[in-house]
This record gives sequence, structure tokens and C-alpha cells, in this order.
Amino acid sequence: MISWAGEIVIKVLSENWLAAVEALQADGFHYFDWLGCVDEIGRSDHFRIVLVVRNIADGAEPEVLSCLLPRDDPKIDSVRGVFAGAAWHEREAAELFGVEFVGGERRRLLLNPEFEGTPLRKDEVLAARTGMNWPGAEEPEEMGDPGKTGASSSRRRMVPPGVPDPAVWGDRDASQAAADPADVAESAIGGRVRRRRT
Amino acid sequence: MSSPESAHRWIQLIEPACTSCMICARECPSWCITIDSHTEPVAGLPAGARDRTRNVLDRFAIDWSLCMYCGICVEECPYDALEWVGDLTPPGSRAGALVEEMVPPPS
Repeated sequence: MISWAGEIVIKVLSENWLAAVEALQADGFHYFDWLGCVDEIGRSDHFRIVLVVRNIADGAEPEVLSCLLPRDDPKIDSVRGVFAGAAWHEREAAELFGVEFVGGERRRLLLNPEFEGTPLRKDEVLAARTGMNWPGAEEPEEMGDPGKTGASSSRRRMVPPGVPDPAVWGDRDASQAAADPADVAESAIGGRVRRRRT
Repeated sequence: MSSPESAHRWIQLIEPACTSCMICARECPSWCITIDSHTEPVAGLPAGARDRTRNVLDRFAIDWSLCMYCGICVEECPYDALEWVGDLTPPGSRAGALVEEMVPPPS
């Protein structure tokens, strides 16, 4: 058990997910509050599904269920048969994180049908921006004088959030294997990037 | 038409407070702020003092066709050089006309 926002969190294995939710409902937790997904990249190669149910009648603390799914094959049973309203939350998690809810509603909720990608995964790259000039790239000391070697030229280069270091994604050596998703996510945080030396 | 000062309609630059530090342009999620600047040596230093430079703002423009009025630039500016104003942003007949030069580039 771990604690989250002061609540006790019950960790569940994905194969026990549906049974755990059914058991809570049978235990008086009839009110489905919310279901969400967290990208655990950088901590572990998982997505975390979190589900919160409440017992309105006795006003007790809500129950928080949490389940880790492997990043390479995120699959979990849908609980929409238990709480019909959970289908909306599952659809949102499914399209934004690319998690499959087995037996769930497969229609999209927010994104266009033709949209490809999983926007809330942290290794998702804003590809259209890699080709644009970022107005924050320049340092005041270097503007209008490209040849100048001021104090900032030895500083690390600034990159915008969502656009990874070209050495990791995009303009990288094609003979190398694709970068690890965790590296892509880390390099797309923005800020100053390390110059990679080979 | 003007409205209470608390209204979030137009972001305005307070030019004397701006140090061209680029924080607003870097924090802007929609990339709508363009800043040009250069550095100048600070004059009048005492003899023997180390040379110092300061940033001089040459151009500050907000593209209202990109701005989503989130106000992150106003929040992030460490020198309080950006503020909300109750007026509406100036209209334009095409996207390019919505770029407002708050500090126009030197001609």
C-alpha cells in the first residue's frame, strides 16, 4: 500500500483489476469518482491506472485503486460493466495514452478519428515544431551577431519543451537504434541541453 | 470600449522594466513572443572596473493570431514588465496584421 493525497492506495495487479472494482462496489462503494492514467516514464516502464470510488451513504474516505501496466503492451480490463460512467474516463485514457481497455468502448472521445499518436505520453514529440524557429532559442548576447563568441556560446543550448534534442530524436545517426522512450521524454522537457560528444 | 483593469484581454509591455531576458518568449506555449536585443557596454564605470554589458531591447512583438491569452508570460516575468490590460487587442484584416510591434524594430 502507498499513500496518495492522504488517501490509502490499494495496488492491484492488472489481472485482478475487474474483480477488485467489483468487490469494492459490492462493499458499498457505489459512486464512481474518476479514473485516470499516469505516464511513469523515468521512474519505471509502466503506465499507472488510478481509479477512485466513494461510498456516498456513510461518507467514509474514498477508495483509491492503482494498477501498473507495462509500457510495451498496456492492457487492462474495462470496468464499464460495473460503473457505466467509467467508460468516458477509459476512452480518454485510451486515446491520450494508448492504453487498451479490454471490453471497453472503442470510440474516441476527444481526438479526431484521423489523429495519430498518443498526446499525453511523455515521449510524444511535437513533430511539427521541430521544423519551426523557436523565438526563445537566441541568447541576448548573440543576437544580430552570429559570429560572436560571448559568454553564452559556452553555455548549453536552449530547446523548447516538447521538441527533443536532435541528437536523440530526428537529426540523429540513422545507423543507431532508435532512442529509448525515456531518453526522448527527458530530452523534450525543454531548457538547456547537454551537447553530446561522440 | 474599456473594462475593469482586472480584465484579461490584452497583454502589454512595460518597456522600461524589460531586460530582454527571454523568459517570456521561452515560457510561451504558443511561441507568439518575438524579442530582438543586443548588448551594449555600460558607460561610466569607475577606472579599473571590469567591463560590463547590459541588454538593450530592439524589438518586442506579440502575434495575437497565435496568443491564447494564457498569461504565463505575465506570471513568469521576473521584472513585472508584462501586464494585463482591459482593452481588446487591436483588430487586423489578415493574420500578418495581428503581429503587434510593442517595441518596433529599428528601421
